[in-house]
Amino acid sequence: MITTSSKLFYGLGAVSIAGSIVWIIAHDGGALGAVALVFIAIALIFLGGIASYVRDGHVLSTDTEQHDSAPAAQRGPSHSWFPLGTALALGMLVVGLVTSPGIFKVGVALLLAMLGEWLIQNWSDRASSDPSYNERVRGWVVHPLEIPVGGALLLGAIVLSFSRIFLALSVEAGPIVFAILGALVLFFGSMLSIRRGTSTRVVGAVCGVALLALSVVGVALALNGEREGLTIAAEEDHFAHRACGEEAEESDEDAVRAVSAKSSVAATVTLKDGVLYAEMDGYSGPLTSISLQRAWNSSILFLNEDEGEHRMVVTYGKVVESLGGGVERETLLQACTSLVAKGGQQGVVVNIPKPSISSTEGFSITVPGLEGASIEVMVP
Amino acid sequence: MKKMIDQFGESMKTARRWRNASKAAIAVSALSFVASCGRDAPQDTWQPAGPNAERIDNLQRPVFYVAGVVGVIVFAAVAWSMYRYRDRGQAIPEQTHGKPAVEIVLTVIPVLILLGVAIPTASTIFKLAETSDTEMTINVTGQQWWWEYDYPAVGSNIEQYGITAPIVTAGQLVIPENTKVLLRVTSRDVIHSYWIPKLNGKKDSVPGRVHLLRMEGSKPGIYAGQCTEFCGLSHAYMRMEAVVLSRADYDKWVANQLEEYTVPEIGTDAAAGESVFIQQCSRCHQVNGLKNSDGSLNIAAPEQNLVSGAAPNLTNLMTRNTFAGASWDLLTPECRDNVWNASSADFGERYLAGVSTECLNQKDLREWLRNAPAKKPMYADPTKLASTGGLYRGMPDLGLTEDQINVIVAYLLERK
Repeated sequence: MITTSSKLFYGLGAVSIAGSIVWIIAHDGGALGAVALVFIAIALIFLGGIASYVRDGHVLSTDTEQHDSAPAAQRGPSHSWFPLGTALALGMLVVGLVTSPGIFKVGVALLLAMLGEWLIQNWSDRASSDPSYNERVRGWVVHPLEIPVGGALLLGAIVLSFSRIFLALSVEAGPIVFAILGALVLFFGSMLSIRRGTSTRVVGAVCGVALLALSVVGVALALNGEREGLTIAAEEDHFAHRACGEEAEESDEDAVRAVSAKSSVAATVTLKDGVLYAEMDGYSGPLTSISLQRAWNSSILFLNEDEGEHRMVVTYGKVVESLGGGVERETLLQACTSLVAKGGQQGVVVNIPKPSISSTEGFSITVPGLEGASIEVMVP
Repeated sequence: MKKMIDQFGESMKTARRWRNASKAAIAVSALSFVASCGRDAPQDTWQPAGPNAERIDNLQRPVFYVAGVVGVIVFAAVAWSMYRYRDRGQAIPEQTHGKPAVEIVLTVIPVLILLGVAIPTASTIFKLAETSDTEMTINVTGQQWWWEYDYPAVGSNIEQYGITAPIVTAGQLVIPENTKVLLRVTSRDVIHSYWIPKLNGKKDSVPGRVHLLRMEGSKPGIYAGQCTEFCGLSHAYMRMEAVVLSRADYDKWVANQLEEYTVPEIGTDAAAGESVFIQQCSRCHQVNGLKNSDGSLNIAAPEQNLVSGAAPNLTNLMTRNTFAGASWDLLTPECRDNVWNASSADFGERYLAGVSTECLNQKDLREWLRNAPAKKPMYADPTKLASTGGLYRGMPDLGLTEDQINVIVAYLLERK
């Protein structure tokens, strides 16, 4: 006998088998996912078999008189909004196919979720003639998924909204707004907690309004864009500092406060009394010539012990581009720190793909504006 | 009567079980004993060939003996208890709890044993980490699935060992005997682990980090090793060898590595091989001094073809004894034995002779050139490189013809 719950398991098992076939076709014979899906199918069909064997725990197979009147045989009474969700998901799927892979992927995820929910709703509605019991049955199956996924989505919306707000606010305004928001949350939270008998509806309404406001502001500021400084930094590729000259530029602001990767540096380069020297693990004494591995992320730390602001520039060859008509443009390959004040430090990470013999000038570490402050860089 | 027969039957079954268990135990013991008699064990940790490995050996032997004695006592006590108090239908004995004297003794004894192990262990760790007396520095870079060694022309490397220009090699680390060599170990792609058991312990090579490992060999010879951190498909093929040479022989090796590139004689197979090499191989492999047909220096571009951004430098390939991550020998078995089994006095001369035409392991080298991924798995299917942006993890099948292979082999034979 195929019972109500066993239908679910058999159905899912069949879907898994179909999925494994689709996987094999889609992955050009790749078996890993198919094997996983087949194992899932075996497990589901096994569970279905058990459900059939125990007749869902409701009616004995020998008690045929009870079959038609058994709770599991009754039609479910509840209304469902999952068809609506499924329609929305299908719409996103189609729109995503035309516009963006992101929307398509969200549509696929939503479609699977809606179909799964719909399937389980339909099944649980037939679990018994008692709607409250059916609701509990549904909860047993889907709550372990619904609650964490819903919580994660909610948390994601809050975090995303907060991040958009603070990326749009100025550096000065950010802490003030954060403090005010925190104080408001603390105030309302305290009010609600000390006041006896506050209904859950009121708490829910306050939270809902707060979440809605947060989301609306977040979306509005996301559409408005990030603050100017971040936009400029993004254009400069954040960590790839473009300014390599002697003069200060936009990205040299707050150089000393910039984060330096100090863990396991390949070389520490120090400028002192107009002289540049390097120290490296495994070598004794100050070096005026260093060796860096080819095609390796070398982290170089620059310490400015000299008067004034200086930057370190690593030069490792040049790129020659043909602009057509016999015209060529040479661009130096360089990695530079920001301007660093006395006592400050900053690191650069440089990956040098070619050996130093590829450059007639050789590779070097220099400080713009200081003649003679130079370290030879050898890349084998 | 029936009861007696049943009892007899049970006792026979028990005796049979004991006999089977005894046979299995004897077989396992015999197998372990036979395995310990292996002579050709180049990666044997119990045969140190340098002061660092000796320090480890001096620590692990007493610890092993103590642990062995403790283990035997514990196993014997467990076995005796299981036999002595086996279930024979007797009543459960009285359960006691709280014997301070016994508990204190059973706590103090392990503490003393562990202290006895910890003190020399800490001392050994600090001695192995000593780097202040370094005499030579070599960069060791792991990548899927081979090791690169570069000898920087910096500091004592120039002053004491005459390394006036960077030397880059692969597969075989060459060091002078009784010299405190410091390896700066890192990785270009994933985590690997460097281990020459007869010369020192392991050291992980981690992308973005430089780990220091002291290496010192007491007598000339070749010492085998193996990557000991699972690093992908061909992890098992990522081997390494450390070659220890006398100081005089080492100086010869350095001088040879620094020699100028020799252009093959015009009209020879080697000259034809040079052209094929420039077309097919120099996209990834660097040969220092090799020039393009227009006279410009040929610079390999492995960063455009490989995930790691590097391929073995082949400038002096035939001065090495191995290729493809030290997975295969460049020497025929006879010639290899001639080098590996040489006495300390003869070793340097035989090693420095390099690979001759007669000694070249043509079979493996040609198979490698014919279709490298068929010999060593390397994710080399060009249709499945989407996740790496079209970059390979190792040498792909270049589709070389037999004529091209012939001339490339002739060209490579002159790289020494």
